[in-house]
Amino acid sequence: MDLEYLKMSPPEKFWFNFKGFFKRLPTAFAAFFKAIPKKLYKLWLAFAGIFINIGKAARDGDWKTRSSFGVMGFGLIARKQYLRGILYLVFEVLFILYMALFGWKYLSKMGSLGEIARVEVWDDALGSYTYKYYDNSLLILLYSLLTLFIMAGFIYVWYQNVKGSFLMQQLSEAKLKLPTVKDELRSYANENYHKSLLSVPLLGLIVFTILPIFFMIFIAFTNFDKVHYPPKELFQWVGMDNFVNVLGGGVSANSKVFAYTFGEVLLWTIVWAIFATFTNYILGMIVAILINKKGVRGKKIFRTILVMTIAVPQFVSLMFMSQLLDDKGLFNNILINLGWISNPIPFLTNGTMARITIIVVNIWIGIPYSMLICTGILMNIPEDLYESARIDGASPVRAYMKITLPYMLHITTPYLITQFIGNLNNFNVIFLLTGGTPSTMDMLYAGKTDLLITWLYKLTVSESQYGLASVIGIFTFVIVAVLSLILYNRSKSVKNEEDFM
Amino acid sequence: MANVSLKHIYKVYPNGTKAVNDFNMDIADKEFIVFVGPSGCGKSTTLRMIAGLEDISAGELKIGDTVVNDMEPKDRDIAMVFQNYALYPHMTVYENIAFGLRLRKLPKDEIHNKVVEAAEILGITEYLNKKPKEMSGGQRQRVALGRAIVREPKVMLLDEPLSNLDAKLRTQMRAEISKLYKKLGTTFIYVTHDQVEAMTMGTRIVVMKNGYVQQIDTPKNLYNYPANKFVAGFIGTPQMSFFEGTLKKDGEFVIIKFDRSNAEIKAPYSMLYKAKPSILDGKTKVYIGLRAEDISVVDNAGKDCAVIDVVVSHKEELGSETLIYGELCGGEEGAGESRIIIKDDGGREINAGDVVKVALDIGKVHLFDKETERSVMPRIPEYNYLDCQVKDGKLIFHNASFDLPSAVKCVDAKGELLLPLNAVTLDGELKAEVLSCEYINGVYLLSMSINGNRLFALSREKVESSTVNIGIDFKKITVIADGEKVIQPIPEVNSFDCSFIKRKTRRSIEQNGKVKNKKMIEFGFLTEDVFFAASDEAAQKIFSALGVKKAVTSQFKMECGIYDISVSDSGIPACVNRILDYGKDIFLKCAVGENTVYVKTDKEYVGDIFLAPDMDKIGIAESERDIKII
Amino acid sequence: MENKKFASKKGRERATLVIIYAVLILISLVWLIPFFILVIQSFSSNSGMAADTLFPKQWTFDNYVKLFTETKFMTWYGNTMLVSVVVTVFQTVIVLMTSYALSRLRFKMRKPLMNVMLILGMFPGFLSMTAVYFVLKEINLTQNLIGLMLVYSASSAMQYYICKGFFDTIPKSLDEAARIDGASRHTVFVKIILPLAKPIIIYTILTAFIAPWGEYMFSSFIMLGDPDKYTVAVGMKSWLDNSVLAGEYFTVFCAAAVVVSIPITALFIWLQRYYVEGVTGGSVKG
Repeated sequence: MDLEYLKMSPPEKFWFNFKGFFKRLPTAFAAFFKAIPKKLYKLWLAFAGIFINIGKAARDGDWKTRSSFGVMGFGLIARKQYLRGILYLVFEVLFILYMALFGWKYLSKMGSLGEIARVEVWDDALGSYTYKYYDNSLLILLYSLLTLFIMAGFIYVWYQNVKGSFLMQQLSEAKLKLPTVKDELRSYANENYHKSLLSVPLLGLIVFTILPIFFMIFIAFTNFDKVHYPPKELFQWVGMDNFVNVLGGGVSANSKVFAYTFGEVLLWTIVWAIFATFTNYILGMIVAILINKKGVRGKKIFRTILVMTIAVPQFVSLMFMSQLLDDKGLFNNILINLGWISNPIPFLTNGTMARITIIVVNIWIGIPYSMLICTGILMNIPEDLYESARIDGASPVRAYMKITLPYMLHITTPYLITQFIGNLNNFNVIFLLTGGTPSTMDMLYAGKTDLLITWLYKLTVSESQYGLASVIGIFTFVIVAVLSLILYNRSKSVKNEEDFM
Repeated sequence: MANVSLKHIYKVYPNGTKAVNDFNMDIADKEFIVFVGPSGCGKSTTLRMIAGLEDISAGELKIGDTVVNDMEPKDRDIAMVFQNYALYPHMTVYENIAFGLRLRKLPKDEIHNKVVEAAEILGITEYLNKKPKEMSGGQRQRVALGRAIVREPKVMLLDEPLSNLDAKLRTQMRAEISKLYKKLGTTFIYVTHDQVEAMTMGTRIVVMKNGYVQQIDTPKNLYNYPANKFVAGFIGTPQMSFFEGTLKKDGEFVIIKFDRSNAEIKAPYSMLYKAKPSILDGKTKVYIGLRAEDISVVDNAGKDCAVIDVVVSHKEELGSETLIYGELCGGEEGAGESRIIIKDDGGREINAGDVVKVALDIGKVHLFDKETERSVMPRIPEYNYLDCQVKDGKLIFHNASFDLPSAVKCVDAKGELLLPLNAVTLDGELKAEVLSCEYINGVYLLSMSINGNRLFALSREKVESSTVNIGIDFKKITVIADGEKVIQPIPEVNSFDCSFIKRKTRRSIEQNGKVKNKKMIEFGFLTEDVFFAASDEAAQKIFSALGVKKAVTSQFKMECGIYDISVSDSGIPACVNRILDYGKDIFLKCAVGENTVYVKTDKEYVGDIFLAPDMDKIGIAESERDIKII
Repeated sequence: MENKKFASKKGRERATLVIIYAVLILISLVWLIPFFILVIQSFSSNSGMAADTLFPKQWTFDNYVKLFTETKFMTWYGNTMLVSVVVTVFQTVIVLMTSYALSRLRFKMRKPLMNVMLILGMFPGFLSMTAVYFVLKEINLTQNLIGLMLVYSASSAMQYYICKGFFDTIPKSLDEAARIDGASRHTVFVKIILPLAKPIIIYTILTAFIAPWGEYMFSSFIMLGDPDKYTVAVGMKSWLDNSVLAGEYFTVFCAAAVVVSIPITALFIWLQRYYVEGVTGGSVKG
């Protein structure tokens, strides 16, 4: 930092930083995308390393090692590593059985996603035509994907088997002690303990998160929708059509509207996320400061009152609020009854009004939570900072601007980022409060207050537009991921993880 | 109850920084070793490697007779005390101490007895039922000690155990740990940054800096004979005062000049006879170090007394004595250190700003090279530096002459002779008068006089006679004339580039009366395309240092002493360049590839020969990280 | 002079305090009144028509009676309770295991794994729902509580962040001391780290237990079309979705909301200390 900067007045400094942030933003983006090829190259090196290892094992391996290329675990069993060897062998047998009996059937149809969906046949017993079902595109895609995953797993295990066999060969040639079964088992409570701990959590993650994500990515390239709905009908690969449609380049009239909707919803999503994050954060901090002010009594009571509102399930508060603020809801009714207004205030039925209402209600929902976090940190700000500020003659507002705010921002950046991401994908508040309404004719399947995530929900649950929804999902993911990765990287100095020494 | 041996221990982090470099030490049973040094010097890392909490990058660590490099901490039979005590907060003191025993599944009664006994030794019986939280720092550290001693380990490791305590408690605990050490009779390894702790507790001290061992010695020797300026400054309070200056030999006297003082001091040469002669030229800048107690304030300077003027800047009254901090006065401004610390026990009235006369005890002076900061007046000098003359194939110095063997024949010249102490043999023909015989760390340093000139030599046995006959080993001498080395010693070690490979061979083995042709796998070194089988032990060392995968892909340097390689029927092809005849010994100077190799031989060879190193005596170092393995 | 100045300073301080109290009381009211209305409405007899007064014209217990006799609320409540308890157990175990591994063990894939989980967390969870639904359907776990438990527990690993942050604050030397004492890493985890992690375990249990009560997106999707398997959130929303029923069921909804909230709120207030510790600790760490 140079001296010029230090000379500036606070507004100048702010303007300087503000300009700087946006000036650097393109560079940050560029750097982010520039880093990708480097990462890919690293990945490629790691990948190449695998082949080099396999090649070495093939070249330098003895017959025991080489046999385990075909019969998994052989090299290990031959060197008395029974436990691992037999497990590998069993795994290979199971894999072959799976592929032969199940996997191949689906995988072979992956290219076409099925030929015949159903055939009408005469049923003598019933005396009428019934349908006989054949190919189900959805299951074909799902199971082929599962098979691909299992194959990838198999290749990984196979590689481990080759590597392990070769290592055992090298160890025995070097006349080093080979691990016994007991050593092996013991290692799973020691140097391999992470494998014992993480296998179950990761399995859950792969089956219920990663596999579905891949499935949806594949769906984005199909015409899976109301018309092409298995098992009645097949769906097909359509290439980039869905992407083109979402971006407004499609042939159908809907495509333009779709692109417009996407833009509108995206814009509102970002606006919402920014407002929701920062209003909560700043107001929460102010409330925390008020409660923690020296001399205020009943701190515990005030805090408990606010914490209590966290305890009430969110859906209860949100749905109750939506009822309360309805055109025919209690709030309007009371006001009309009192004669203060003649027509109900359109809290949730006027587009702009609804958006404001949502943000305000979100403040109501969110402040207790951010208040808690800020309280924790406020208590950690060293008292002498304030004392020295007071001796220097700083007013409370100044102390806040100079000490509290920077300290808090510095420490809570990771929290802010996760909050921001959470708000981008905040389903509950919107869906339970307005359900995305008020609806409008300008947009396709979306209302004025719909976020990308609630729009997605509607597209799938009520409209069955799976292909398009997947595309939106992918876009959402890319936007969220890029934004947050940049933010994370920028705050890395804050986030520096401990390590040894 | 075991000795600990560290051989070529390295700690290299993945990013390439070396935290510990080539740590070599043999710790005998029941020693109290202290690792001391500023933070980041690698002392804690070394301790953690001994404990098994940190991987050893290279080297061999033995506890007792077992190599423990790849052992889990729990199998090493060690116990450790941590700086922050590391007591389990959720357990009572009793449970804390018993935890390790319970994990070892000892019978309940035995555990109980041991815990109670340990608690009694440390005087914490009354706290057994308390949680660590309820105890003071000193008590906690006692519990931590209890947890360690109850296991009756072979080696006790203590990582800055007293740093978290206040000064008074620290002194008290220091005494208690010393007491405990005497009582237990176990090997202690103790890490601290506090040199007072090191000096008061250790039987031997290891001073470290930047990952390198600076000096290993007893506290007394460290204090009296520091090997370099760092050790001199680090050990001892108040710190040693250092001045830059020059020394000039003038007959039987040496004149010392300080950059920051006008004073000249004349000291008898007999006080400085061990100093490297080349620094006594009045030009070479050296650091002159003196401890506070070797400097004193004098009232009236007598003649010929080593006295200089000092301006007092401030003083510290310590009750029994006074520390006076001052500056040398006069001399060049800004030319190095001028600060001087004086210990004064007289009841003098001295105030800041006063100019006082100060006497220096030149007999206790320490001299360090300005560049390398190493001592230029070590306890055992490295070389005899002598003026010499080569004339008609004779080497002449101190009015004595020696016939030069043919290997080192050269043209006539006048210059300096660098005669290493071990090149002076006690079986020659020249008569020398013994001036003194001093015992230093296992050898005797002989100080002799030849025709009135001083000469040092080493002896394994004590020399009682007043005269000895000396000879010279010409292999080790250097003669420098006009800045050129006209005679050079032969290098003691040859080095070859090599790689470590696996080889398949077939060998006939007789088994049950049948001769079988069996496939064998052997490991060895490949240098100049020649394979030398490695001993099992050597192979194991390489594997354990680098792992089975890296061992065969890394580059190595093979080092082999000139006596440990011989001419053979097969082996590394070499071409004899020259035959070096030293009279008793004959050496061959050969070319191997681009390298030059020296070989001891019985016969004279010419032309192409083959060399075979003695595989039991070679040294191996990994080239990339420069790590010695064997 | 001096005295006056001192007095005025004191006066100003008092004035500030008064303002702060006023603001705090106002805030408390704003936060409490809606819940107050909720409770009042649950005793209102305004069925059939939306209310137009704050206090009901007639007080009644009918809503509660109706809730327990005419609706499936009890079933939903039971469903949610069952799911919550099971998910709490699994999620706590998974989160603790993942956090310990990522905080204390050093292995090659540690950093990549953390990054992958970070990126996975950015994927709109709902998107994966469709696929999960079909997977569950194939193994006959849709419209089934076990399916819902699976979905809730399966991706728990991604919630390691706060717990790992807590583990990171436990001094490493404790692990080292235990390892020298002869403990395996497993023993360290069970005998040293877990007993010290009580606050964060309670926090994890609390959040895991509460989540299914308020979750709507996944449960509505999986339980679609089978009211017997609804959780309270899905069930109660179904009353209000239908605009014909909405008016009639509004007061019943309020009664149900009270019934759902009371035990959770009680639990929350009881364990508030741990919750606050977890939330603040987790976000401060970074």
